[in-house]
Amino acid sequence: MADDLLIPDDDENPVALEELLAASGLAREEVSELVAFGVFQLAGGGGAVWSFHARTVSLARRAARLRDDFGLNGPGMALALTYLERIEALEVRLKELECQLPLQRA
Amino acid sequence: MKFKDYYGVLEVERDADGEEIKKAYRRLARRYHPDVAKESGAEERFKEIGEAYQTLSDPEKRQAYDDLGRHPSGEEFTPPQEWESRFWRGADPRGGPQGGQQEVDLADLFERMGFGSSGRSGRSAAGFQARGQDLEVATELTLEQAYRGAEVSFSLTVPSRNADGSVEKLPRSGTIRVPRGVADGERLRVPGRGSPGMGGAPAGDLYLEIRLKPHPRFRPVGHDLYLELPIAPWEAALGAEIEMPTLDGTAKVSVRAGMRNGQKLRLAGKGLPRRKEGAGDLYGVIQIVMPPEIGEPELQLYRDLAEASSFNPRQSLEGATTHG
Repeated sequence: MADDLLIPDDDENPVALEELLAASGLAREEVSELVAFGVFQLAGGGGAVWSFHARTVSLARRAARLRDDFGLNGPGMALALTYLERIEALEVRLKELECQLPLQRA
Repeated sequence: MKFKDYYGVLEVERDADGEEIKKAYRRLARRYHPDVAKESGAEERFKEIGEAYQTLSDPEKRQAYDDLGRHPSGEEFTPPQEWESRFWRGADPRGGPQGGQQEVDLADLFERMGFGSSGRSGRSAAGFQARGQDLEVATELTLEQAYRGAEVSFSLTVPSRNADGSVEKLPRSGTIRVPRGVADGERLRVPGRGSPGMGGAPAGDLYLEIRLKPHPRFRPVGHDLYLELPIAPWEAALGAEIEMPTLDGTAKVSVRAGMRNGQKLRLAGKGLPRRKEGAGDLYGVIQIVMPPEIGEPELQLYRDLAEASSFNPRQSLEGATTHG
């Protein structure tokens, strides 16, 4: 079975709360908690109807995986995501610095 | 079907209790969880661990697994006849030719188990709704493909549940349009193109993970690119106009007189394009290289230079035991 050409979601399109819940498997309260911790940021300043940046979907999926596989609660997920984000920022910095070293030629 | 030693995978004894199994799982998850571990093979290992835990943490499944007896890992075996009525509906469990489907493995078997069985509320086939599974596809792109955009074909085998609760492995293929502007590690989401949902529930999503293949020249960091730019010592001293390769050709850049090792020349907007607008930058990192062999005429020039120069490169090591 071949599909037609699949077009990914536009990065700029905000993701509605319901969609985030369905895509990640997080519960509504867990999402509110992660918003309260500042781990998830609301797109468009956050009115009555919540929507999120597209990249929040992968964060939310990661949160749900960590919850399921380690039995984490809201604060646990918030902490883990914060650390993972810091590690990733450090990895980018490390990569930047490595790129400024001479190549190791065999 | 190949036997898998679930106890061995979780590194527990066969008589371990539920708590010990949970502990073992947590311990191994911490080590191999793909969100935590970066070592190669961790993801595969975590899948095995998850599969073993799925089965051994459920008393009913664990009993069924134990009933299979002990076999060496990887040994071919045929599940007992009565499993047919226990687990399968309609499909041939052994993936026989009449079923015309692909071989099931032990994981599929336990996955099926319990599904549609009466004891579980909300899990009976009638009226059961479940969002379709998400599909994850990883792809390696060259930098040039990320630069221009690309079409990526994939083909997967996707377990999918029929309305009666039986599971089939179906081939699934497609082509995904990767827009220009993706960066290494990015995940693209195609909503609604995962496995179909059950009982009128929505389909899952399709995720495409982008990995960039190493490039012989350019090293990407986000949307920026780094390039090692070798120059001769006299180019560093005198300055030079040189050609620097870019992803789509070359650019003329000026090396200032007195350029030092490790300094960067920035070509704004010559990195990878960003999705919406603009692009990262291209950095040429200066490497002053010595010729592999220095011939007599050059050596003489260096001697003259040494004679003429009063430069002390070790001034900052004042007090250290150097001559001069």
